[in-house]
Amino acid sequence: MATSAECADERGQEGPIRCIFFSEFHHIAGPKITCQVPDNFVSKDIFDNVSVYIIPKAQLQRSTITVTLKEFKILGFPVRIDNKKYARNAFYFNLCFVCDAEARTVHYEPVVKKMSEFLIALEIENCFLSASGDKTRLAQMLQHVMLDLNMHKMCTLTEGTMTSHLKVVRQAPEPKPILDHQVPIFLEGREAFQSDQWDLTTQQVLPYIDGFNHVARIAAEADVENNLVKSCVQNLVYYGVVTLIPIFQYSNVYATTPKLKKLAEDVELQDKCVAYASKSLRQPAYLRDIYRMYASMTHGSSMRDLCQRLNPQNLRINERRLVQFGLIEGLIRRIYKYPIHIPSNSTEEGRTNPIYKYFTGAFNLDEICCCIGQSVAQIEEIVERDPNVVMLWK
Amino acid sequence: MEINPLSIILVKSDSKGDRMLFRYPHATNNVRDSSQCTRRKNPYSLTISEDLLQSLPCPTSNISNGNLTGFSDEVLSTLFAVKPELCESKFELKVNNVRFVGHPTLLPSRGLKEVNPSKLFNVVFALPAQASHSVVKCYYDLSKRLGIALRHEEKRCGFLSEEIKIMVSTHDEVAARYLVSKKLYFIRSEEESDCDESPYELILQKSLLARDLKSVFNSLCTSGVINIMINKWIQVSFCLPQKVHQSHKKGFIMNPEIIDRCLDSLRPYHGLLLLLEPHDLLDSLPTDSSPALRRLIQMYNPLKSLQTLAADSDLALTQVFQLTGHLVYWAKATIIYPLCENNVYVVSPDAVLTAQLLDAFSEEFPGLCLLQVISEFSLPTSISQKLNPLSQSQQQTQVVKIIIWLLKNHLLLQLHTYVQYMPTVHGRITMETKSSDDPSPSGLTENDHSWGMNDTPKGTPNDSKTDIQLPIDKESGIFEYQSDTFPIASDDMLLMDRLCRLGYFTGGHHLEEIMYLENIRRSQLLQILDKFRDVLITCESEDPAIALFYSQLNSY
Repeated sequence: MATSAECADERGQEGPIRCIFFSEFHHIAGPKITCQVPDNFVSKDIFDNVSVYIIPKAQLQRSTITVTLKEFKILGFPVRIDNKKYARNAFYFNLCFVCDAEARTVHYEPVVKKMSEFLIALEIENCFLSASGDKTRLAQMLQHVMLDLNMHKMCTLTEGTMTSHLKVVRQAPEPKPILDHQVPIFLEGREAFQSDQWDLTTQQVLPYIDGFNHVARIAAEADVENNLVKSCVQNLVYYGVVTLIPIFQYSNVYATTPKLKKLAEDVELQDKCVAYASKSLRQPAYLRDIYRMYASMTHGSSMRDLCQRLNPQNLRINERRLVQFGLIEGLIRRIYKYPIHIPSNSTEEGRTNPIYKYFTGAFNLDEICCCIGQSVAQIEEIVERDPNVVMLWK
Repeated sequence: MEINPLSIILVKSDSKGDRMLFRYPHATNNVRDSSQCTRRKNPYSLTISEDLLQSLPCPTSNISNGNLTGFSDEVLSTLFAVKPELCESKFELKVNNVRFVGHPTLLPSRGLKEVNPSKLFNVVFALPAQASHSVVKCYYDLSKRLGIALRHEEKRCGFLSEEIKIMVSTHDEVAARYLVSKKLYFIRSEEESDCDESPYELILQKSLLARDLKSVFNSLCTSGVINIMINKWIQVSFCLPQKVHQSHKKGFIMNPEIIDRCLDSLRPYHGLLLLLEPHDLLDSLPTDSSPALRRLIQMYNPLKSLQTLAADSDLALTQVFQLTGHLVYWAKATIIYPLCENNVYVVSPDAVLTAQLLDAFSEEFPGLCLLQVISEFSLPTSISQKLNPLSQSQQQTQVVKIIIWLLKNHLLLQLHTYVQYMPTVHGRITMETKSSDDPSPSGLTENDHSWGMNDTPKGTPNDSKTDIQLPIDKESGIFEYQSDTFPIASDDMLLMDRLCRLGYFTGGHHLEEIMYLENIRRSQLLQILDKFRDVLITCESEDPAIALFYSQLNSY
């Protein structure tokens, strides 16, 4: 969550559309704004300063051009329609969106492009743009688009027999590739996503997402091909339905993050945490016990040690859900174990055992277990036996 | 990579119109690749032949193989020769997936013979459009700096006019030769003669400014640090923090905003760790560098806190902070907690042990293997644990040297102990909200051992008068704390009370910070932690200010 907020912080906020104007190249007067909502938002002086970017040279036709000024940004898609009937054998126009100078406008680019295509079609069909000096219909249309896009992020345009649908699509960074050993978990109640709006594969996969099954296992149990499950989960991650956490095992080691402090301050988070991590809702666990359990998570102690020491069963804590909550909220992070083979002095086993090819420091134990289908204990034994393999916890 | 520039472009505009003077790299084909427009994404998709509107050639990308394509010189020069109204401010233009940023600079007319006062030039950087705001801002800053330097040189000796003359005449020469050759060989097609000779190669040979711009571009792509003398006279220094800080971590982008945030949370007890040897750094400083900075570097020691450094180098603490910020920005230093015996280190979560690092380590410390050394930090390890009391002092300095080396390469992370005070089983929340249905420890107040705020003897030295007059509210449940097993001395109670009141036990202050701010010993603090362990919960994590330098911890 924090990362997405940071991204927005870095790249500027998504701002509303402040103004939409339609400009054309007049065969005598040159570039000018013929229609603008709200009226006179972009003054004539400012337009003259930037007209070279709005009605540009032939080489830049049909490019999305954004120019940033002190007060605002103008995003346009200059178009030319060639036809003998026009004064200079061509009709040049540009439909532009105006936003705040700091706002992001990348997500409006496809919309501007699509709306321009719609206007081209109208012009070719019945000279909608060039026929009359009266632009009231166009002004209405621009007004309608601006209001609807700002309010609902989508808009339907209808003119005569033609219809076009505009939608502003949120641009999120590409989600990372999904790995076999990762565990998808729902960020909110799964009930909301059980609907049939998803594709068939996703529907088949959804019931097996419980916060404990890892991707490879989901693929096996849902009887869906592994790569399909991965792209499914990737899609769900993109839409913020699920997030990925590591497999839960009692040999896992976790460490606290500075965010744990929030749990002591934020009452809302406390209630959520107590409700999530308690064994039963009738007898909720105490926050102090939960906090102590989180705080005890450190590099040296595995979940098994913690359970033996603190006995979460007696404290009415469900330790598996406790860990899930901590990971989702970022209160704790997993410490992975990376076996590394010191290359200089390799032993006989190092050359023969195929498992050694994973001991490069790039794979953690979870990944190796998933790849070769052995348990953590078996691999740890191999590492233990060979003094040339060191275990890095990070 | 989103940080490297695609191209650097110099454009001028004067009474003779606008002109592209120089662009680097210049090996671009101006012919639009038609195949890239019509290529279908899916080989099985149908091409709808009737859909004429969609099939119009529509360029979507102006980047190919990291080069700028699809823009002719004329197009670019009209775009960048802005109206005088837009001069002396940020110029930002995005065309398809390329973002251009520059600072159009006006030249004051020299003497009376100039008729047209609006003479401007613009050094423009072409960047991939995905470049973040802060990267764009840095490039704008660089363009502005170059603009100012060039204007100064123009004023001093007409440097820019001379260079412009050279470039323009070279352009004309090549164009004329091209015309002649066209007349001579009618058969030759246009493209052929076009790539025959690029004016930019010639300009690079003839013009000093062109070579300077080329070196700017190259250093942006390689190191991110620019240190050039324009016209061998005026120095332009610039640092692209996103690039400089990448050297130690792949794919980690350090924005100036992160550095600002780190500097905001800088405290006097933090220390400085130079990433290169102090004498190397001193040598690399320009001749007119601040004497304060030199003094600071001479007094530098990773064992010193910033406060000690300030005292030793006889500088104000705020100035030391500023110099620290400067060194961090230029990736010459990083922030640490000064090395001391009680520091606990663990392997950093984003440590990537590349072959280069392994080699560098064994070169620095012959006979030792980085993998083995670092795996000893898999469990939190303090320096005192590493120091064997029996070992030679030479070995001890070796241990410290190794830790410094690992910290410089961001392979280690220091863990601090934070304390959270939880008076009730429901945390720190007020009684009114939760007390109705559960027995809280406040029920025990009648006990003999209990100690109330109002019992404070008057005139206790460490309690201020105002504190005593404060009404006791139910929230301060601490004063009712008592232990079943042993009585707690009243001065421990007083200390606990003071530390609680000052808000040290809210998980935001580590032990070292409390020790520093309250001037108490570690043993005293540890005693308090032990005696009040039922209500004080400790946890180990990294200092958020320092963690900003670690890529994976950033998101927390």
